[in-house]
Amino acid sequence: MWVCCCYCCFKFLKSLSALSNVCLGGWGGVCATTPREEIHTNEKEVTEKEVTLHLLPGEQVLCEASTVLKYVQEDSSQHGVYGRLVCTDFKIAFLGDDESTLDNDETQFKNKVIGENDITLHCVDQIYGVFDEKKKTLFGQLKKYPEKLIIHCKDLRVFQFCLRYTKEEEVKRIVSGIIHHTQAPKLLKRLFLFSYATAAQNNTVTDPKNHTVMFDSLKDWCWELERTKGNMKYKAVSVNEDYEVCERLPAYFVVPTPLPEENVQRFQGHGIPIWCWSCHNGSALLKMSALPKEQDDGILQIQKSFFDRIYKTIHRPPYEIVKTEDLSSNFLSLQEIQTAYSKFKQLFLIDNSTEFWDTDIKWFSLLESSSWLDIIRRCLKKAIEITECMEAQNMNVLLLEENASDLCCLISSLVQLMMDPHCRTRIGFQSLIQKEWVMGGHCFLDRCNHLRQNDKEEVPVFLLFLDCVWQLVHQHPPAFEFTETYLTVLSDSLYIPIFSTFFFNSPHQKDTNMGREGQETQSKPLNLLTVWDWSVQFEPKAQTLLKNPLYVEKPKLDKGQRKGMRFKHQRQLSLPLTQSKSSPKRGFFREETDHLIKNLLGKRISKLINSSDELQDNFREFYDTWHSKPTDYHGLLLPHIEGPEIKVWAQRYLRWIPEAQILGGGRVATMSKLLEMMEEVQSLQEKIDERHHSQQAPQAEAPCLLRNSARLSSLFPFALLQRHSSKPVLPTSGWKALGDEDDLAKQEDEFVDLGDV
Amino acid sequence: MWWGGRGQSFNIAPQKEEPEMGLSGPKSVQESRMPEPRSRRLSSCLASGCLPGEQILAWAPGVRKGLEPEMSGTLICTNLRVTFQPCGWQRNQDTPLSSEYDFALVNIGRLEAVSGLSRVQLLRPGSLLKFIPEEILIHGRDFRLLRIAFEAGGLEPQAFQVTMAIVQARAQSSQAQQYLGITLSKAGQGSGSRKPPIPLMETAEDWETERNKQGARGWRVSTVNERFDVATSLPRYFWVPNRILDSEIRRAFGHFHQGRGPRLSWHHPGGSDLLRCGGFYTASDPNKEDIRAVESMLQAGHSDVVLVDSMDELPSLADVQLAHLRLRALCLPDSSVADDKWLSALEGTRWLDYVRACLRKASDISVLVTARVRSVILQERGDRDLNGLLSSLVQLLSAPEARTLFGFQSLVQREWVAAGHPFLTRLGGTGASEESPVFLLFLDCVWQLLQQFPADFEFSEFFLLALHDSVRVPDTLTFLRNTPWERGKQSGQLNSYTQVYTPGYSQPPAGNSFNPQLSVWDWDLRYSSAQILQFQNPGYDLEQCPDSWLPRLQVKCLNFLNSLDFPTGSCCQTGRSERHNVLSSLGKAPHYSSAAVTYSPWLSLGRQMS
Repeated sequence: MWVCCCYCCFKFLKSLSALSNVCLGGWGGVCATTPREEIHTNEKEVTEKEVTLHLLPGEQVLCEASTVLKYVQEDSSQHGVYGRLVCTDFKIAFLGDDESTLDNDETQFKNKVIGENDITLHCVDQIYGVFDEKKKTLFGQLKKYPEKLIIHCKDLRVFQFCLRYTKEEEVKRIVSGIIHHTQAPKLLKRLFLFSYATAAQNNTVTDPKNHTVMFDSLKDWCWELERTKGNMKYKAVSVNEDYEVCERLPAYFVVPTPLPEENVQRFQGHGIPIWCWSCHNGSALLKMSALPKEQDDGILQIQKSFFDRIYKTIHRPPYEIVKTEDLSSNFLSLQEIQTAYSKFKQLFLIDNSTEFWDTDIKWFSLLESSSWLDIIRRCLKKAIEITECMEAQNMNVLLLEENASDLCCLISSLVQLMMDPHCRTRIGFQSLIQKEWVMGGHCFLDRCNHLRQNDKEEVPVFLLFLDCVWQLVHQHPPAFEFTETYLTVLSDSLYIPIFSTFFFNSPHQKDTNMGREGQETQSKPLNLLTVWDWSVQFEPKAQTLLKNPLYVEKPKLDKGQRKGMRFKHQRQLSLPLTQSKSSPKRGFFREETDHLIKNLLGKRISKLINSSDELQDNFREFYDTWHSKPTDYHGLLLPHIEGPEIKVWAQRYLRWIPEAQILGGGRVATMSKLLEMMEEVQSLQEKIDERHHSQQAPQAEAPCLLRNSARLSSLFPFALLQRHSSKPVLPTSGWKALGDEDDLAKQEDEFVDLGDV
Repeated sequence: MWWGGRGQSFNIAPQKEEPEMGLSGPKSVQESRMPEPRSRRLSSCLASGCLPGEQILAWAPGVRKGLEPEMSGTLICTNLRVTFQPCGWQRNQDTPLSSEYDFALVNIGRLEAVSGLSRVQLLRPGSLLKFIPEEILIHGRDFRLLRIAFEAGGLEPQAFQVTMAIVQARAQSSQAQQYLGITLSKAGQGSGSRKPPIPLMETAEDWETERNKQGARGWRVSTVNERFDVATSLPRYFWVPNRILDSEIRRAFGHFHQGRGPRLSWHHPGGSDLLRCGGFYTASDPNKEDIRAVESMLQAGHSDVVLVDSMDELPSLADVQLAHLRLRALCLPDSSVADDKWLSALEGTRWLDYVRACLRKASDISVLVTARVRSVILQERGDRDLNGLLSSLVQLLSAPEARTLFGFQSLVQREWVAAGHPFLTRLGGTGASEESPVFLLFLDCVWQLLQQFPADFEFSEFFLLALHDSVRVPDTLTFLRNTPWERGKQSGQLNSYTQVYTPGYSQPPAGNSFNPQLSVWDWDLRYSSAQILQFQNPGYDLEQCPDSWLPRLQVKCLNFLNSLDFPTGSCCQTGRSERHNVLSSLGKAPHYSSAAVTYSPWLSLGRQMS
């Protein structure tokens, strides 16, 4: 019996490992609805039950309108649900009259804060009104009120509300209310964050940080230094404890040990190399905000000598050679990112299925012309280049940017994600975001345009980062403890103003507005939530969808073994170092000049040979060598960056488009199979354990969301299956064409109605 | 891409094996020409890897470039293939035909010799090499690239020899050769040791069995074409309506292009049928009786049927060929397309457009046949290309059996091989004029389905790739002949057959020296058992246990039935299996929007080989 169990286990594990490469993060388990309900969905049903608006503590209703018709998006026809449209100081909510029928346990992946028909005010992107079939952007004071309201959300949902049956007074109030509260510039203090925090004072926060390192204390930084073995050459300083030196920098940060602290004060923290992370071979990733540009020769002179001193400090042993990477020039500009994303997102903000099929024909070139994917590629490439410098050439890399708070955050987090397996655990990833983005002073408030004060500042840098991470997760699923669903809900959380994480420009701004400045902590302890407390948004059951079942933790070893292991680990991490300076005879054109290659052989052949540019050469070699070896998921991880490998983050971008849904298909199907097997392995394991230790092993909580789920759609867990469960996605045109071939004209009408099957 | 492409899974690690005595094929004839002392040892070693009838024409030591790590080994040209054997590597006798570095001569798409910096010569069959090459580039039609640098230091003549040998061998092999007479003990025992062998659809029994399986009661197996005198491109047997006499068939088929009249492809358990036929022969002048016969054959007992023009909305053969050429150019490792222009370049090939068109049309037809229980006749002028593609796709969409490993192989055997798809011509075996890789287009369609419904197929991407790679391997007749007639002629069965009709002729008694015909489905000749294991899709689900999900869908099913308002009551009475099929066809509406049609990893294979 025992032997048999073991054998089964082994077999399952084998199939698991075969599967493991297939699977994406998006998985989990909403069951398909029982069809009985869906029959009713589209009909107006006057239920006695009054649907109640769920209000958060401190949330106030501002205005509302009744008999609003919400179009069921997946129908190109004019089906809809009647209900109330409410605008509060937190969200716009639609309360369908027959909401109760939908409110069953089928939607297990429910967000506790944001309902299916809720749009937080910060999530609203654009508002359109339809006047006599014409779509116009709505803003400011309106003279005429639209008959249809279209809301494009930042999480790419599209809502359409018909106001034709609503009283005129109500239309005026709700439309101008929505426009005002979503688009008018706001003051920081008026954020819902504060009313919520004040009202929810008494709520006990459950497990507030769940071990995510917040980097808001000296201790956290020391811990990180210790973890990365950076404490030999770098030290945590508290010169900025009360934000006296600089408001951009966090209260505590890390600098090279010999750096005199008064240097930090000199230019308000500019021009100081700040430590990000240390590699196992001792080389470190540093960042520096550029010195202010000056015209005055005298000041320039001072700057220069200051700079020289700094450089001398970090150029001397024990510090490695420093390579400076200027991210302000020669790399992406924020403007580019902004333009690309605004083009890119339009591809997914689709009002109806006609639009979908229209864009479909030119999909790839549209995608390409947005150049969003190319921007992702460039970011990943830059990160690989830096990784190569640190890993293969043992150099320190100094990232330079004007404020060191945009691309610096992006690149340095990517590098750490690739090099440090700790960052690929959920806690590690959250700590990384906390360290590089939140404490690193990324201006979330401005970049997300939460206050609507300046549209030009709105640049989705953080989203770009998440998309880059998604590419890595997609290419190497077993290396990450979190799933793509985790990344998707994290990106959604950017717009939920009950979490403080993404609603401040800097830790200084947060602390001053929290009344935490100085030592007055006791007087007014506003208790802000962090986004890392996922239990605020999701039930434990739904949270299992955020955890990758394929992730295998790095085996922990007892002390005796650790020493040897450490050595081995290092070996795994470092690549076979290719005696890196060019080996004499590699390509057959190696010794020849670039000129000859280009002129005589043309581009085609020259692509076969590595470009002669030394830097490119190192990069290529590093990249190719790594990819030709089997992947160690607990070691260095590099993404593929070739044309076909950078893909669209389908879960985030396509999830609300019914036409893009594959019913009963997609990776979810594989994933559910996989989970089934994992459960089986687990139960077998338990049986084995039972036999070994006579006492009952504690029942592990199995992630059973996917079990018995009939046919999930590819867009799981986001698509709402109940609405269109039996509809094959067939455009009617195909049917007409078929009908034409058939000379049986009487069937024509039948063909057309087939489209609605 | 989960198994990492050819570079990894198919990588055959250098195996250390005992020198075996297994093969007794003729030794190399040219041993004497090889001068070096160590080469003697080498060449005998090389010869041991040969197949019977295979002759080594020339060889030279070289280093494989382009892939890490670089490997030194030997480049060998035989009369069947060009192969690179890494040092210390020995052909595994269990899988005598497999090598990652084998290039069947027909598979060589382009051959280039390079010397120094400035000299590149494109070698066509028959051209003369103008210099001693330092490097040779072999571009496979299957997107592979083999790049070999020859060793310097006295071995230049060998480099020259082997290159010229390849050029000449290619010129001679334009008539595709078979690895003749594989009487390996292996091959004989192969079929016995395996699970049920794939029916080759060459006997009446095979057709009868399949007909029973499909439950096509109104149909019978016709033997009218046993001597290939109705049409050489048709199989010996096919299904026709019960009521139609063989004489009527003979007459009726004469009015169709190349004699390819309407035959049953697939019977849907709900009662509808899928038929295929060629175009009407324009010059024919049928009399009234013939017209009636043709009509009743087309209708096959149904009151109304839908005639679908297969060529409408689908790419022409020339389109497919052009798209494939473009695609190959894009995916070859030396493609000059920048990474940021990849997507539009891919769109520009139009290959994925064609994939979408096929999926779309097939899914339309599938709904007709299953949900609307309407009989459909696929009509294409030649009835040998797009009809096969559409009919196989429809079956994949509608019949769960076709999605099993066994079912898919028999589907390909029936709808493509037996139905007379001109593989040799379409894959470029007889010159470029009519080349058009319709079959590869079909495989890409299947791959898309597999991507979209990973739990519904028993076979894996790996299997599709193996099939894709097999189309030009000259070890079997499956893909190297245009018609069943040619195939039969080659394997010598025709002679034995034309004399007397013996139903069991293709299963010769054991011990007979008769040569069993190898088919592409004898995977164990080319792939190790570990690789064959990977043909299975570990994520394959359901079907085995329909109970787990069927009951839940029953209400939905009824709902669906009502809404459709079926013309006849027949469907509502049908049992579970029927409902099952209808549902699965609905669930399996494939997605052909661009967002869903993935840019397939197949495409990137070339890039990874580089």
